[in-house]
Amino acid sequence: MSKLIEIIISSDPEIRNQSLGSAISGKTTAELLQECGQLEKFRSNSNNLYHKVRALFFLYAIHRFHILTASKIGSTAITPFKAYEHIINRRFEEAIKILLDVQNEKGINEGLSSSLADAYHKLAFQTLADQVKRSVRTTPGNNWMFRIGHPGDHPLKFRKELLRKDENSGLFPLLAEKTPVRMDLTHSCWSDIFFLGMDYPDGAQVLNISVDLCISGTSGKPIPPIETYLRVIDEPVIRLVSTDLETTADIQFIPEIFDFAKDYLGLLKAALIASGIVPPGMEGVELPVSVLLEKIIGPGLGLELVSQVNNIPKGSRLAVSTNLLASLISLCMRATGQTCQPDGVLEEEERRLVAAKAILGEWLGGSGGGWQDSGGVWPGIKMIKGCKATENDPEFNISNGKLLPNHTILTVQDVSAETKQKLQDSLVMVHGGMAQDVGPILEMVTEKYLLRSEKEWIARQKALTYFDQVIYFLKLGDIRKIGEITQNNFNGPIQDIIPWATTAYTERIIEKTKSEFGDNFWGFWMMGGMSGGGMGFIFNPEIKKEAQDWLLKTMLLIKKEMEAAVPFAMDPVVYDFKINEKGTFATLTDDEKALLPAKYYTLTLPRLLKKELSELSACRKSELQALSKSQKMKGSYNLFVSGLFERMIPDSKAEGQKKQDLKELLENYGFNTTLHETVKSALKSGQIGLAQNRLRTGVKISDSDAGTIENIEPNLKDSLFKTGKTALQNGELAIVTLAGGIGSRWTKGAGVVKSLHPFSKFAGKHRNFIEIHLAKNKKAANNYNVPLPHIFTTSYLTHQPIKEYLTPNGRLNNGTVYLSPGQFIGLRLYPTERDLRFYWEELSRQTLDEQAQKMRESLHNALIQWAKSNGEAENYTDNLPQQCIHPVGHWFEVPNLIINGTLLKLLETNPNLKYLLVHNIDTLGANADPVLLGYHIQNKNSVSVEVISRWIDDRGGGLAKVDNKPRLVEGLSLPHEKIEFELSYYNTNTFWISIDPLLAVFKLTLSDLPNQEKVRNAIMELARQMPTYVTLKEVKKRWGKGQEDIYPVTQFEKLWGDMTALSELKTGYLHVTRRRGQQLKEVAQLDGWLRDGSAAYIEELCEWE
Amino acid sequence: MKITKALITAAGPDQRKLPLQTLIDRDRTQRTVLEILINEIKSAGIDEIGIVIQAEDEKSFEQVLEHNSYSTVRFIHQNKKPGYGQALLSAEKFLNNESFLHLVGDHLYVNRSGQNIARQLIELAEKHKCAISTVQSTRENRIGNYGTVKAERLQGEPSLFQITRVHEKPTPTFAEQHFMVPGLRAGYYLCFYGMHVFTPLLFELLAKKAVDFPDKKLGLSESLDELSKRSRYLALEKNDSRYDIGLDYGLLKAQLALSLSGKDRDYVLSELLQFFVEKDLNNNCGNR
Repeated sequence: MSKLIEIIISSDPEIRNQSLGSAISGKTTAELLQECGQLEKFRSNSNNLYHKVRALFFLYAIHRFHILTASKIGSTAITPFKAYEHIINRRFEEAIKILLDVQNEKGINEGLSSSLADAYHKLAFQTLADQVKRSVRTTPGNNWMFRIGHPGDHPLKFRKELLRKDENSGLFPLLAEKTPVRMDLTHSCWSDIFFLGMDYPDGAQVLNISVDLCISGTSGKPIPPIETYLRVIDEPVIRLVSTDLETTADIQFIPEIFDFAKDYLGLLKAALIASGIVPPGMEGVELPVSVLLEKIIGPGLGLELVSQVNNIPKGSRLAVSTNLLASLISLCMRATGQTCQPDGVLEEEERRLVAAKAILGEWLGGSGGGWQDSGGVWPGIKMIKGCKATENDPEFNISNGKLLPNHTILTVQDVSAETKQKLQDSLVMVHGGMAQDVGPILEMVTEKYLLRSEKEWIARQKALTYFDQVIYFLKLGDIRKIGEITQNNFNGPIQDIIPWATTAYTERIIEKTKSEFGDNFWGFWMMGGMSGGGMGFIFNPEIKKEAQDWLLKTMLLIKKEMEAAVPFAMDPVVYDFKINEKGTFATLTDDEKALLPAKYYTLTLPRLLKKELSELSACRKSELQALSKSQKMKGSYNLFVSGLFERMIPDSKAEGQKKQDLKELLENYGFNTTLHETVKSALKSGQIGLAQNRLRTGVKISDSDAGTIENIEPNLKDSLFKTGKTALQNGELAIVTLAGGIGSRWTKGAGVVKSLHPFSKFAGKHRNFIEIHLAKNKKAANNYNVPLPHIFTTSYLTHQPIKEYLTPNGRLNNGTVYLSPGQFIGLRLYPTERDLRFYWEELSRQTLDEQAQKMRESLHNALIQWAKSNGEAENYTDNLPQQCIHPVGHWFEVPNLIINGTLLKLLETNPNLKYLLVHNIDTLGANADPVLLGYHIQNKNSVSVEVISRWIDDRGGGLAKVDNKPRLVEGLSLPHEKIEFELSYYNTNTFWISIDPLLAVFKLTLSDLPNQEKVRNAIMELARQMPTYVTLKEVKKRWGKGQEDIYPVTQFEKLWGDMTALSELKTGYLHVTRRRGQQLKEVAQLDGWLRDGSAAYIEELCEWE
Repeated sequence: MKITKALITAAGPDQRKLPLQTLIDRDRTQRTVLEILINEIKSAGIDEIGIVIQAEDEKSFEQVLEHNSYSTVRFIHQNKKPGYGQALLSAEKFLNNESFLHLVGDHLYVNRSGQNIARQLIELAEKHKCAISTVQSTRENRIGNYGTVKAERLQGEPSLFQITRVHEKPTPTFAEQHFMVPGLRAGYYLCFYGMHVFTPLLFELLAKKAVDFPDKKLGLSESLDELSKRSRYLALEKNDSRYDIGLDYGLLKAQLALSLSGKDRDYVLSELLQFFVEKDLNNNCGNR
């Protein structure tokens, strides 16, 4: 039997917990492929879910981290497009079958292996997600809701207490629920992820505390941060209101409840569904909600559900959204008699049911965290542990563990009141201001666990001992020791498993705190998925107040220093907190006090006041009467009225200032109004658009042939090296790093400077892209004993921050580092419906898991409405000015060097300069390699392009023969996506350029460079001949408390790769290694990049300051 | 154990007048619901029948029964306190510490086999010497109307179960967690059918509850739940029709069921057919 299969099926932990790496160490590609064959057969025949899943992860990892990196396995495009289509449509089994057939017929190669890795990886997660989905659905208490398909069959009824109107005030009773949030004192390395807890229940454990909060420094005291309300109304609608997200909706038809992404009320809708008020079985029922409401409440009646989160910003790592969902579900269950009592605390069984329904609600909404997230439903401090599935559980014989863990509330005997007080007196909770997507982290954790990667597995075992220690010292009341443990946990196991859990920002805060408070700082406490948002710092209680104030100031200061480079969603805040000893708790008010919170009325009154009295329902009239008395009585009338006026008459000054700033930006950065208007009207009329980017039909596009591509043979290396080295030493090369882009994919349109993002640790320190490029430059310069000029191209967004970054280090003045400011910008436009539909419906894209896909489609519809209501192809100005404009593509970056005089300056200080190495900021492997330079020189190329073998994720064109001429083609311009799968090589966007022939293409010579007008005209002349692409990019808009929306906007770009179509430029193509040529476009790539040795490769190229 | 007495409850605030509703029985005779129930009991061989009513309703009930020879029927006034349990406790004296047959006054039972369900129930209670209730497999969207039981099948007795837990009108959420019975279709639960044989232990449990919780409305299900834990308590599954005439259209459904299983079956069927044909014709004309 294969050793790998033995590892998978063994009941002996010694064998079962072996890492894949150790088991296949030293095997050749052929042997690995043989192992894959056996694993494939095993997983196809296995009925055990976790055997299957582990085999799938082994298969993925063998391809991704061993076969693809071990040796050259060929790069001819043999991946069938059909397999790709199956993958993106989630038909993974079909895709794998096709890919394996091709492997059997033609042998393995890079494209095929990367496709297999992708398909196995996705199938593994799909299998796990399906199992969780099944468990959630079949959990007793949830199952019936999937069988109720028509309002006529609805089995629930509202409690009678809620239907009795108060005779005096005319108000229906109000059910209010207050729910704390949760924090996790032990952070047992994300052990509460469902996939992990269900396979390894013994290792799934956390110490979870329910807390009340308030922002420190405000007059308030800590209160449950979540408030939810439910009442009957005398209108046959479901009214949903979120006071903190300032959104209301009257739902008239059942399908609207299932349209989660239409507005910000998705959580409220999910709660209605998961609680059974609108059971999931009713999805697709095209009936008015009044039919359903009549059945469960009564004729002519409806319900109103209100949520309010008190001052907790997004990304708090306190599981606000899960606890909000749980609070809403609890409220709906109370209203429909699914709890023993309508008010008070919940019983244990009811809490578990709320938690199970919250998991269902999260799944319906296409999201999901871990099983500890609904911890706020429980009171105080509790130990939550995974538990093994037994005979009566739906999970039995499918997974080791159950979906839901066990909660043990720690009593006063376990943790004394004094200890709790000590904890409260020592811990400073903060929100650092960053709001990151932790989804990829949870996937990484799962994958590493299932692979039992050695380092990570040891770390997980270590974290388990920390858990025991925290419990031990908590019982002893030794908070200082707990601080020490949480700090060790963060420094050790947490980062050993996920290096990305820490950030440069977090580390700087910790470092400063240590140096400021020395022994009085007892430790850092990592909360949730990753640091940077919600975090804890444990201090000597004597200095807590001082530390709180200092931390706030310090975080603000560091944020200010880093905000150009790191995406912050808001300013940092410090909380006051208190342990909540009740858990979620409800009250029922049935007199004239049955009114909603003031924020509700600030939100809803402006619209109500516009109505005629006769249009208001009887209850609304009674409510307004009760409100007028109530507000006056409470003495907060003035405050309430001023809030109301602020809402009704927004501040026009701020809006005016925004417009002015945008105007100045456009004027200062070379915005061409005439060109913009021409392009805009062409877009409106449909002359241009995404579909029109494509090359005309009839163009013959095929894969490049062997003669086009240069693989540097070993016997040539010496000669090429000599030529390159001589040129380097002679000062003939300068490096141009393209840093003018805005890295939309890196931060999903956050508008920060990607090149300055300290994204990964090298030599023990977080480094940014520029730092890495300069370190490579330094090593090359030292190797060849010559200073290498290095130019960073910039734009309106990146110039100032890069300049500020480089100036203090004196690098800008040392004569080797130059900045080349951008000369052109464009103004973004609202997209057209036509382009959005083309992008989402015509172009192929990865279909998501069932519910997530529904969310996406719902969001797309909402965004189409957004674009239409704002005016298709109109100027996009509804954001910060910098977020409304865009650089116009990297084609301009090299011409900018000529226009802005940088090239002239370079030539003046480096008279021997002949060649430029131009590369993207995120192509970290690109360096002044003398062999490649030698190739460029010896072949007398005008341009040499570096290409890599195409992997399945490499989308966006590549090297092709277009009408028999080799050139780079953009993915946007391919008449059909299928063609891309016939192209063997992908463009790295790294170019070796000879300056003289380049100038000649522009019809310029070196002597023309001082003549600015001539230079500009010449460049514009060529620019007009280059194709312009219409593209859709994501842009973030921030609002409220750490909220971010991502919108698609239209912009125009010209791309440098199109220069290879010019016959005047002699162009050659070099096949380089992936480590050299790969670009880091998304943060989610980082883990694979680190694990496959790419990061180590980069480090070898560097010499640090 | 010998069952000689029966008790009908008809004092609930929403059901006081229901037993007085008149229907056409299977033999084409006009009868009140009460009379149909009494006939069922008498056919089971029981003569001593107690009916728990509100004192002010006695005249109406007497009027219904005066034309018939129901000399052994006794009216028992519900004591002042509300609740199903109190209704039963009111009859403590009449029942005199004996096991008894109990029917609710707002349910009608129509069996297809012609078998007397009350008699079958009494025979089983006497055979097994324990309390027994008729139950029916009921879809989850209707369990909110009935007491529901968790039960285990008795080996070798196809329709008999041992009850282990009782809950009044559960939500499907609660039922799914605690009241699933192996062998039933998904989403179906065993719910009371409205006919029981109770032992004197029930009175002990009810009386204790009444003392322990003097301010709480005394229901029956909580005591039955306790009964299931303190003694053997069986359930007989019946798939015959049971009609809760207190529900919307309950009386109409009960009438149709009686007629369609009696002498007037063909007549009622043809009338119904006529009704639908005319409705269809009218609709078609309207569409033109």
